[in-house]
Amino acid sequence: MGIRFYNVTHEYDSYSKKTYKAIQNISLSIESKDEFIALVGHTGSGKSTLAKHMNALMFPTEGYLNIFNETITKKRDKKVKYNNLRRQVGLVFQFPEYQLFEETVEKDIMFGPLNYKVPFEEAKRLAKEAIQLVGLDDSYLKRNPFNLSGGEKKRVSIAGILAMDPKILVLDEPTSGLDPHGRQVLMELFSDIHRKTGKSVIIITHDMDLVYRYFKRVIVLKDGMLSFDGSPDDLFRSDIIEQNHLDLPNTVKALKYIKDKQGINLDIYQKTPEEAAIELRRVMTHE
Amino acid sequence: MNSIIIGQYIPGSGFFYRLDPRTKIITILFLMIAVFMLETILQLAIAIGIAVVLLLAGRISLLKVLRGLKPIFILLVFTFVFQIALNTEGVVLSTATMHFNLTSVIFALLIFVLWRFLLRFNRFKILLFVLFVLGLYFNFRYATLHTDFYSFQLTIYEKGVEMSVFVVLRLLIIITLTTVLTLTTKPTDLTQGLESLMHPLKKLGFHSEDFALIISISLRYIPTIFDEAQKIMSAQASRGADFTEGKLKDKLKQIISLLVPMFIIAFMRSEELADAMESRNFVPGEQRTRINILRFTIVDIYTGLFTALCFAGAIYVKVML
Repeated sequence: MGIRFYNVTHEYDSYSKKTYKAIQNISLSIESKDEFIALVGHTGSGKSTLAKHMNALMFPTEGYLNIFNETITKKRDKKVKYNNLRRQVGLVFQFPEYQLFEETVEKDIMFGPLNYKVPFEEAKRLAKEAIQLVGLDDSYLKRNPFNLSGGEKKRVSIAGILAMDPKILVLDEPTSGLDPHGRQVLMELFSDIHRKTGKSVIIITHDMDLVYRYFKRVIVLKDGMLSFDGSPDDLFRSDIIEQNHLDLPNTVKALKYIKDKQGINLDIYQKTPEEAAIELRRVMTHE
Repeated sequence: MNSIIIGQYIPGSGFFYRLDPRTKIITILFLMIAVFMLETILQLAIAIGIAVVLLLAGRISLLKVLRGLKPIFILLVFTFVFQIALNTEGVVLSTATMHFNLTSVIFALLIFVLWRFLLRFNRFKILLFVLFVLGLYFNFRYATLHTDFYSFQLTIYEKGVEMSVFVVLRLLIIITLTTVLTLTTKPTDLTQGLESLMHPLKKLGFHSEDFALIISISLRYIPTIFDEAQKIMSAQASRGADFTEGKLKDKLKQIISLLVPMFIIAFMRSEELADAMESRNFVPGEQRTRINILRFTIVDIYTGLFTALCFAGAIYVKVML
């Protein structure tokens, strides 16, 4: 069960004859339960391409995938119901503008479930559940999705996928374009959904603070190749960070600076400002 | 989706690339008129000879031009077949009864399947097609084993063959001419050329600058809009609206789910573009200078002379012969 990548490569055609490999030779295994994964990498490192493979929006040009016991190869197989796979693996796109189209939020959230032949009343109930799950109240259901703020639109688009009750949730940069507070709230939300439902959640992000603080597992892509797959703690303690030109989380950066400048023996790997403060206090009272 | 190329422009540096777009447009217009004045296959063959020499001189690969003919291949085949089948002037060249019976129909199906199968190898496509048609012809002509349930007389006349070759050759030349234009001219240069050519129409109330602006903006935004459509389709496919699966009734709803975001994004884009243009002080209808000013060079004069020569030749042939 879950998603398995077997030496997956995706090559884009291009007119200048040189083909461009967005992802190369990737082998991965993502379970359908209790995963909380951050997908990290530079712009153009193939994160979005990888994400689109996870619900068969894209097919590998080499290698194959196994998504919930269905094999995805280069060719579209008429026997495989790709639509059903997409119900198991929900993918939320970066820009909510690409999917909102109905006149009320409720109808828009119901679009997914109705496509999967869920009865109307049931879909309505799912919509209500989903909107609460993303932290908006019922009054939003009757509103026009195009009159919402950016953050609210984002939540509605996430609710649209959540209403389909996918086993694995993939989010493409859900926190981009939001203010720091909004990011925090949204991440708490995902972490909450993950904890409450046990669904696997995969999030593409650039924010190392969030990665360190919330995630159980990090996958780092570099030029389309897998360069790290493991826990955030291992990632930030290794030299992979520098090799990939990734940033350290702000708390680690600050503590590292203090450690280097003052020569104090600190444990710089603290996930939150609060923890960092406690560590500083500990060292200071110690001295 | 950067692979979408509007028009067929391929960067290069031959003789045709150095020509002013205005010269190219006018030249091609006149050459086309000249081609339409020609009346016999021999004249057309000479015209084709000239065209090939020109292409070689301009270092344009014939292969690329031929590839440009691909979309109209079906049209050419249809013209050819209809001319042969329906033209009843001149001497009878051949007449044969076409037999439709059990064996011939089965063989026809076999030939069809064989043809589709061979097409997979992606080579000699046109040759294969010709063989396929010939195969069908001989199959229906000589299949006399069973009693026919339908048969008709296919008579080919001399004039029919002549006309079909003539029409196809003429179409070939015209398409080649336009392909050369689109192969060697950037869409922006093309619109700039058109704008400049239509400038005199301003007195009639036709604003060629606005026209050119509209065309360049639409050309510029076709790939963008295409890209957006792809993204929207992916996003909706993620919600179970895959356009390749499902019933017709569901598809209608799915099309709405594509169109609404399309329009909203298009409006968003156009507002952004308007802001970007305004912030660079663009005022519609104001006099503007250009980075690339069109200038006629010596090459353009030679081309003009050559065109005049061709045109005069065509008129001479038309009037005197």
